[in-house]
Amino acid sequence: MLFTSIIYFLFLVSSLVGYYLLPPRYRNYYLIIVSALFYMYVKPSYLILIIFIIVTNYWIGIQIEKSNRKQKSGFLYLSLFINLGILIFFKYWNFLIENLFQLVGLLGVSNTNSPPFLDIVLPIGLSYYIFQIIGYNIDINRGTIKAETNIFDFSLFVLFFPKLMVGPIERANHFLPQLKKRILFKKENIVEGGKRIVWGLFKKLVVADRISIYHDAVMSTVNQQSGATILFASVLYTFQVYADFSGYTDIALGTARMFGYDLMENFKRPLLAKNVGDFWRRWHISLSSWVSDYIFNPIAFKRRDWGNFGVFYALIISFVVIGIWHGATWNYVLFGIVQALALIYETLTRRARKNIAKKVNTVLYRDISIVLTFTFITFSLIIFQSATFSDALNIMKAMFSNHGKFFFDDPPQLTFMLIGCVMLILCDIQEEFRIFNFSLFSNKNWMIQQIAFSLLLVYILIAGVFDGGEFIYFAF
Amino acid sequence: MKWINVKENRSGFQFLLKSFFFVAGLFVFDYSIGSLLKYLYFKQNSGPLYEITYSIDSTKADLLIIGSSTAHHDYHPSPFQNRLGVSYYNTSNDGTSLLYHYAVLKSILKRYSPKIVILGFDIGEFKSDQKSYDRLSALLPYYQNHSELRPIIELRSEFEKIKLLSKIYPFNSTIFSVFIRNPYFTGYNLKRKADDNGYVPLNRFDNEPMEIDVPDLKFDPDSNKIDFFKSFIKDCKLSNVDLYIVISPRFIKYPVKDPSVELAKEISDRYNVPFYNYSRDTLFLKHNEYFADRVHLNDNGAKVFSNMIIDRILQNEQKNSVSKKNSWSADSDKK
Repeated sequence: MLFTSIIYFLFLVSSLVGYYLLPPRYRNYYLIIVSALFYMYVKPSYLILIIFIIVTNYWIGIQIEKSNRKQKSGFLYLSLFINLGILIFFKYWNFLIENLFQLVGLLGVSNTNSPPFLDIVLPIGLSYYIFQIIGYNIDINRGTIKAETNIFDFSLFVLFFPKLMVGPIERANHFLPQLKKRILFKKENIVEGGKRIVWGLFKKLVVADRISIYHDAVMSTVNQQSGATILFASVLYTFQVYADFSGYTDIALGTARMFGYDLMENFKRPLLAKNVGDFWRRWHISLSSWVSDYIFNPIAFKRRDWGNFGVFYALIISFVVIGIWHGATWNYVLFGIVQALALIYETLTRRARKNIAKKVNTVLYRDISIVLTFTFITFSLIIFQSATFSDALNIMKAMFSNHGKFFFDDPPQLTFMLIGCVMLILCDIQEEFRIFNFSLFSNKNWMIQQIAFSLLLVYILIAGVFDGGEFIYFAF
Repeated sequence: MKWINVKENRSGFQFLLKSFFFVAGLFVFDYSIGSLLKYLYFKQNSGPLYEITYSIDSTKADLLIIGSSTAHHDYHPSPFQNRLGVSYYNTSNDGTSLLYHYAVLKSILKRYSPKIVILGFDIGEFKSDQKSYDRLSALLPYYQNHSELRPIIELRSEFEKIKLLSKIYPFNSTIFSVFIRNPYFTGYNLKRKADDNGYVPLNRFDNEPMEIDVPDLKFDPDSNKIDFFKSFIKDCKLSNVDLYIVISPRFIKYPVKDPSVELAKEISDRYNVPFYNYSRDTLFLKHNEYFADRVHLNDNGAKVFSNMIIDRILQNEQKNSVSKKNSWSADSDKK
């Protein structure tokens, strides 16, 4: 059920009505049923898997808390074995088997058997909720949270439908306490949630899906396109991925808000990041902070005797995990390594850059930093968007060697794309730097605000792409 | 009703009132902007959107080309006009499928019966493909006034009727084209060239090497497309239209037979409709100078190909008149 589909909005409205008609003590049970139905709509058999994951992790969580130190580790390893085992089986099996067979071939061992590939579909949202559950168990092991003893609250922690398919990867200490509160109907939740959904729809339908038409046309004929066209499409892709994923997150957060819950923010204007480190503090925050808390910090702490090399080691491991989390291909691993290398470079040059910053005009230094970071991200996303490493190299080669005309087949299409990108970036700039004193979408005058949102909806109807357009992050 | 927040309930009326104003405002914006877009859409006098309106509402040509981009670029009007002495119009629309082609035929047959229809059939035409349904969006502006198109447009999605409650939605993505192609706004009249007749020539030349393409052997046919193909043939027969189903030349080698083509040929044979497959024609496979790209002919290639099709039509007419004559003489012998 796509968040931009009519069926989703019918589902949302009917669920909301039922939710607020019920007494508060029954609302969480109702949400579990609604969330299960939502997940079943994608594929009913997925529900069996998620129920298994919920039940086993509910039990393991309690066991970790109850046990002594030695046993705690045992239960934590059991949790990791089950959860990562499921993730590897569904997401990485074919990748691992293929590479194992290639390695065996390289070692000169003759093998006439064909690799035992599995023809299975990755259950939607698996990577998100598995990471969320692993975080929960680690937190119990560390003693930062208590194990959830109410299986219904734990079920809703995993199943809550707005975040089920594409996150955010919630943290137990943020979300579980909210499930204990009595949720009352508040008009602010409906209004603010609604506004967030409209903005998400704009990002997804008007910006991301519109760019996707042009980007796909260019990248599917990359050898026939000029370097300038490929560069332009690559820049647009950065906007596309941002608008796609953050648009989805906005709809998820808006939906959750309507039900009275606050999910964690996943994006903080990442295209205005001043360096790569800053970018990863603003981009897919729920994943990067998860990796920071559960992978980077423990490794960096363990390797603190290594000095800077310990940090670099932790960075490489963390970003390989971030890369491979996106998918079972080497280009994602490479994408992660490139990010880690950029962060290592930033660590090594921090002092030198600070010295330069002191000598240059602050605004100019900031703006140049933003442009350079954006350029780096755009180029690294070429690896991210390519199916293989050789495809990425081919795109980069074509970008610097192909001559010819600039491709803009359809001027109205280009106009829609540019208007969308300008609106998106202007809103981010306004939120980041507060350039204008006047704001349309958060104006105190409700009339101005209502007209602004009505016109935004009208613009979505005029310029949105309503045909197809899966969310890019569904694939992960 | 303890669970309803009493304090919030006091301002409930205000909330409902504001919600009402929001919805009412949205409705007013949608209705007024949608009506304006509709007016401007149907005032266009050139461009691809105008050509759809002309195909559906106005053309009275004797010979019609119906198809996708291949048909749009591969049939040159002048050989048809000169050698057959008929009026020509090309109703083809890029990226469309049989779903769209049948919709166009239905609206045309509602007005008149052309003498000849050439249906451009594409390789893999019967394959299930969401894009074919998405491209029916080109027909959304005609939903309100063309009842014959409604069942086809509604195939886009089960919620299409709900979406069409919006006045703007049918004109989604057309706003800039509508303004550019409108003499009221551009200040000059971009009139359709008299000799174009819906045909869009491609004047480039393909210098890419020949491609070898193995069609997807997992044949997952779309039953709607197959049904529409049959209906297309039946409707033409009922309206006494001479139908020719043609696959355009390609600069691609197909080592295996395409299941869609095989099935289309079988159905055409069953209904005794001429079916010409030029995708393996050696003349074109040896001459890449006839192509703009691997699947579209350039202007020169379109002329050569159109003449080949005209030869086929003339042969067919001759054959038909001989068989009619023979059956007439056989009938008179019996008498």
